[in-house]
Amino acid sequence: MVNEPKPYWNPYVAGVGLGLVLTATYLVIGRGLGASGPALRAAAVGVAAIAPGHASATSAFTKILAEPHPFLNYYVFLAIGTLLGAFVSAYATDRVRPGVTRGPNASIRLRLLAAIFGGALLGVGARLARGCASGQALTGGGLLSAGSWAFMLAIFAGGYATFLFTRRVWR
Amino acid sequence: MSFFPLQAAVENVNVAMALAVLAGFGFGFMLERAGFGDSRKLLGQFFGNEMVMLKVMFSAVATAVILTAALDGVGLVNLRALGNLVTTETYLWPMIAGGLLIGTGIVFSGYCPGTSFVGMATGKLDAVVAYAGVVVGQVVAAELERMGTHTVMKDGLPVVALGPFARFFESGAKGHLYLYDVFRVPAAVIALAVAVIAIASFLFGEWVERKVGGDAAPASPSRPRRFVFGAMAGVALFSVVTLALPTGAGAVQRSAGRIGVEELARRLFEQPWTVRVLDVRSAEECKAATVRGAECVEPSTLAALQLDGEPASRDLVFVGAGDAAEPPAGALAFPGRVLLLSGGFEAWRGWALTPPTPPEPGAPKAEQDAFRLRSGVQAALTSLPQVAPAAPAASAAGGAAPKRKKAGGGGGCGG
Repeated sequence: MVNEPKPYWNPYVAGVGLGLVLTATYLVIGRGLGASGPALRAAAVGVAAIAPGHASATSAFTKILAEPHPFLNYYVFLAIGTLLGAFVSAYATDRVRPGVTRGPNASIRLRLLAAIFGGALLGVGARLARGCASGQALTGGGLLSAGSWAFMLAIFAGGYATFLFTRRVWR
Repeated sequence: MSFFPLQAAVENVNVAMALAVLAGFGFGFMLERAGFGDSRKLLGQFFGNEMVMLKVMFSAVATAVILTAALDGVGLVNLRALGNLVTTETYLWPMIAGGLLIGTGIVFSGYCPGTSFVGMATGKLDAVVAYAGVVVGQVVAAELERMGTHTVMKDGLPVVALGPFARFFESGAKGHLYLYDVFRVPAAVIALAVAVIAIASFLFGEWVERKVGGDAAPASPSRPRRFVFGAMAGVALFSVVTLALPTGAGAVQRSAGRIGVEELARRLFEQPWTVRVLDVRSAEECKAATVRGAECVEPSTLAALQLDGEPASRDLVFVGAGDAAEPPAGALAFPGRVLLLSGGFEAWRGWALTPPTPPEPGAPKAEQDAFRLRSGVQAALTSLPQVAPAAPAASAAGGAAPKRKKAGGGGGCGG
């Protein structure tokens, strides 16, 4: 990988492309896009491995654990496709660059702590909102669901309310 | 008529999973092309130097809104039915709280869960750690939901009493609610507004980029931009024009649909808060026997019910003596769907209040299931006293509804 990474697409073009993928998914599959489903399934299976009785009595996990194959699920296969699509796109443009993305003054340790803390907030938020930025804001927003639009505005509000606390990670 | 979604093809599990991988491929490809594998680029949204999150996310949502509204306008898609199939119901308060948490989570982790897959695919360790955090968050949420939730005995039956977090999780329930219900205008008008607001916010975003970044602001080539903006406005305008078509969404929305006795029975037992049933036969007939939970209403006093103030997420069902061709005058002021019970009360009596004949031994499973449903309904309706009519309107969409879990997780990531 000696080549320079190629520039990204115009954001409006990439956005319309994403919107076309989303619309096709609605029409052909009758579902939307999403990303936090596999995390819920992994959480259910993980807790069940440690404490089976406790897990199946937890209402968030009960239904998933009752399935014969918890990972044989639409959102899990969607995630596999997402990884593939992203890899193909990045490989073709010399953008596969292993590393840790962070601001010039952030240590790797600080960056990874911020990542797991932020990730946990994403997980709790996705549970409350019945979906993440893709599963709820994109999918529901594209079909004019009122809750999804409230959720989308709240994402921006939450980001703007707190981004200054993350200066050291990114700047 | 509506041709989509093509669900017949999706019933085969191999085909369904292959399609899921294909959809994911497009999703991941577009997110990577937009630059979301790089968390610093996503954060540019908040530090103000590059509004890429706004541009990509809003372009994508606007594209989907405009296209589906246009397809609805020409009659290829029923937008509300598609929405009910794909999206989750609205739970206003937990969704706003979840959005605030996710916004905060994005600025700390540098990813929204979807983009962390792109980070992983391009070799970023922080993306793997962020997604591990999402799993931890799901466990935390599940435990919080469990806290304080317990079973109590009420009238000899076990009833689940929810803890504080679980109660909040279920709060603000509005059923399926769409912006065209909230603003009471056709979806095409909302789509046009979305197009205008999207373009305005893009121009505002570019202005902020120039303010914050000066010469370092990302160049915005005008040709693709002009094309995208023009296409959005053009297609949105087209769907507004389709409102004038006799077959378009505008026309379809204002006529009454039909509901069969079996479907009505299911709705009454499983989701009673999603329907309001009005029996428009004479008062004596209605008093003698009616559909469970129905209100006896003279067609002439319909205006007193103020149907136009009802939540549009509910359906209004009219029960006549037999098959009615049209709902009573004034019923179409109701913002939600207006349905006529096929066959009227006679059909209901024949199906729900008369004991069914058991199927032959060895009958197909579908037939046995149908029998079980019907005899269950019949037993429940004839051995219990008729329930007094519910207080009209009020907050029947939320509060007192029994706790329910959606099968399959709807359109979200929650499944």
